[in-house]
Amino acid sequence: MPKAKINIEKQLEAHVITYKDRYYRLAYSYVRNSEDALDIVQDSIIKALLSIESLKEPSFIATWFYRIIVNTSLDFLRKNKKLVLLDEEILCSIETGEADKYPDIDLQAALEALPHDCRSIIILRYFEDLKLEEIAEVLDENINTIKTRLYKSLKRLRIKIEEV
Amino acid sequence: MQDNSINQLKKEYMNTPIPSELDFMIKKAFRENKINVSTNSKSLTKLIKITASIAAAIAVLTIGINTSPVFAEALSKVPVVSSIVKVLTFKEFKVNENNFQANIKVPAIEGLENKELQNSLNDKYLKQNKRLYEEFMKDTEELKTLGGGHMGIDAGYQIKTDNDKLLSIGRYVVNTAGSSSTTFQYDTIDKQKQILITLPSLFMDDSYIEIISKNIKEQMLQQINTDEGKIYWVEGGNSEGIPDSEFFKSIDTEQSFYINNAGKLVISFNKYEVAPGYMGTPKFEIPTEAIADILVGNEYIK
Repeated sequence: MPKAKINIEKQLEAHVITYKDRYYRLAYSYVRNSEDALDIVQDSIIKALLSIESLKEPSFIATWFYRIIVNTSLDFLRKNKKLVLLDEEILCSIETGEADKYPDIDLQAALEALPHDCRSIIILRYFEDLKLEEIAEVLDENINTIKTRLYKSLKRLRIKIEEV
Repeated sequence: MQDNSINQLKKEYMNTPIPSELDFMIKKAFRENKINVSTNSKSLTKLIKITASIAAAIAVLTIGINTSPVFAEALSKVPVVSSIVKVLTFKEFKVNENNFQANIKVPAIEGLENKELQNSLNDKYLKQNKRLYEEFMKDTEELKTLGGGHMGIDAGYQIKTDNDKLLSIGRYVVNTAGSSSTTFQYDTIDKQKQILITLPSLFMDDSYIEIISKNIKEQMLQQINTDEGKIYWVEGGNSEGIPDSEFFKSIDTEQSFYINNAGKLVISFNKYEVAPGYMGTPKFEIPTEAIADILVGNEYIK
């Protein structure tokens, strides 16, 4: 067994244990129930260990593992037919008329109503404080796409933020 | 609104309740899946070695039957005993505490004339299940010291096939530590000849490995193409984030299998072996045409 591989496994374990709440919350934001969210975290760990060689730099652990969580969640939803794949960019800014004007109290509902990608961008940017470059890495998109989607999602949520 | 509402949203997001078993589940997932040489993987290697030696002993026995006329005659004189061979629940391990549930049923085969085979199988069933129970108790203690959570284990058996000729027993283990994992293992016995059928013994040579693997890959891709909910870790498939090196390449020489009532070979995989966890324990029925040329005979597989 190569020492380096064991070492990086240990780092991964320490990292996931330290930030477990973050990963769990992200998984939960997709599946909305605790059993499935736990399942996704467990599946993600197994996937991560299987593909540990694709982690080139230990400093990328966070974005790399976020990405596994996102992909595993999407796979899960696809498997359970809860996911309809449409053009995310159109969806991020979709207008559904009067009913779509959420009052403050329904902001939570509005966030949940966002397509997964758009919601993940909001979550990763404002709740988990990731940089836009990191989000681009996690969601495997280029940074301009992320910026556009973030802007459209904020607009849809009727939130004005100075710095995007 | 403005920044205030984002902060409000963040607050709600951060309030997502974290289940108490998250920490334990993560540690367990690492402990059981790390390549790291831990006590766990050591005991697993030991188990594999034990199974291998059982398989070896049975192979010797099979040769014994095939080569010794006396032995073969002795067996052929035995009247049709197939109907008496049965599977019983030999022992049950049960735990029923608030959040900790274990339900382990140990099967035992009865009525085989070949006592050596019967004992070695029954012994294996008892040992493996006892080990499951002990591990469960250990995990439960650990989880209790960490402040609780819930955990369960459900192990038992299913008779996959039981006819005049064959008996296939599938043993399953479902682990739930907030989340779940499942394994399935099978034993197929020729009740008339009183032998355990191994996968290699069905074929003329090793070419079955490649032929079956190829067929399974085709089935995986076909399923992926017709049902977008299906995901397999296979080349040309739809799995993201899994490197090529982890794709399903080939079955094992002794891959888990059984022969169903229709006389078809069914190859089985454990959870996580070839697909993400929510795909369960994938099974593939191999069309007999695909393997007809390399079968030793058509006694079992039709």
